Amino acid sequence: MEAGKIFRKIFRKITKGARIYRQASQANAVEIMEAELSEMENIFGLLVLGSFVGFPSPPMQITLDLLPEMEKHFVLMLNKTDMAQEPISDLLSTFDVM
Amino acid sequence: MEKATKNIFFLGKGGVGKSTASALTALHLAAVGHKTLLVSLDPAHNQSDIFEKKFSEKNYKINENLYVKEVDIEKWIKKYLDDIQFQVKRTYSYLTAFNLENYLDIIQYSPGIEEYGLLMAYKSIREKAKNIDYIIFDMPPTALTLKFLALPRLSLLWLNKLMDLRNKIIEKRKIISKVKFGKKEIERDKILNKLTRQIEDYQEIKSVFESPDKTCLNLVMNTDKLSFSESELIVKKLSEFNISIKNIFLNKWTEDFDTSGIQNKYAGCGFQKLAVSDTPLLGIDVLNDYLKQISSFIEL
Repeated sequence: MEAGKIFRKIFRKITKGARIYRQASQANAVEIMEAELSEMENIFGLLVLGSFVGFPSPPMQITLDLLPEMEKHFVLMLNKTDMAQEPISDLLSTFDVM
Repeated sequence: MEKATKNIFFLGKGGVGKSTASALTALHLAAVGHKTLLVSLDPAHNQSDIFEKKFSEKNYKINENLYVKEVDIEKWIKKYLDDIQFQVKRTYSYLTAFNLENYLDIIQYSPGIEEYGLLMAYKSIREKAKNIDYIIFDMPPTALTLKFLALPRLSLLWLNKLMDLRNKIIEKRKIISKVKFGKKEIERDKILNKLTRQIEDYQEIKSVFESPDKTCLNLVMNTDKLSFSESELIVKKLSEFNISIKNIFLNKWTEDFDTSGIQNKYAGCGFQKLAVSDTPLLGIDVLNDYLKQISSFIEL
């Protein structure tokens, strides 16, 4: 009886540990995917709004038509332009290294 | 079944007589009973001088079947930019909109905006001309006209690429949302909506430009070498956009000029000679008299 209780307790601890590990891994994976998504949004922003930072851009009316919906991209792109001189530190901070 | 409105474009090198050829064609079509609208998209606006009337953005009635208007492209561009500026101010935070304001002010001088002004005017004219059989467009000189005709195709190249990337972004966002909140994101992406609408619009315009039933391109040239070489360039460029010339109008033609060389070169095209006139072709009566001297007018 006593041994059964101990086993159940150990089993609960192990499943709880596995759940925590799974959640931590999931959170980590989501974080990386979010960083990837942010990069994709930035590329989209650069493609559409490139003329604001001196990149080749699509015909002007495509940019202008999308402009009212692209404030987030616009701000992101300008922030990225600020970080353009330090790409390594930006990458390291994205992946939480050091 | 209701008959679709047909676009008739007149293009060619500056000064070859695009405006005269389009005015004569408009008078001819109206005379044979077709409801016709002659539109000057050329910033030089020669139609007022040719008809000796003061035209504007409003349709001017010449006779029972013929209306003429001149388009003010700058007005279209200004209206469009004001609208964008209004939307940006409404949707952006104050500071971002404030930073953009100066940029939007100078966009009216940026490359590419002029042909878009033309395209906006074209779309609006076509939408309003439901009861018109033929819309005749007197086009600007070559460079701007080619950019105008290429714009739907070029825009679609960009839009399709942007659409691919947008779809990938939305797919990734859905996955993140599903992992984090256990359900897929259902909110429709506004940027995707706008891209979809733009693609539909440009596909519609492109298909009209490429359809021989809906669009007829007439190339106007004179009997000089410069005019021939520019015409060759126009035909070559248009073929790259999958658009072909239907008719050649040889303006200021004289009896001693042999047309067989041109007719052989553009064998697939119709051919209309417009003989050089002793008197300037100005005023409706003079134009009508000139038309009477033309034995047969080409089919459009």
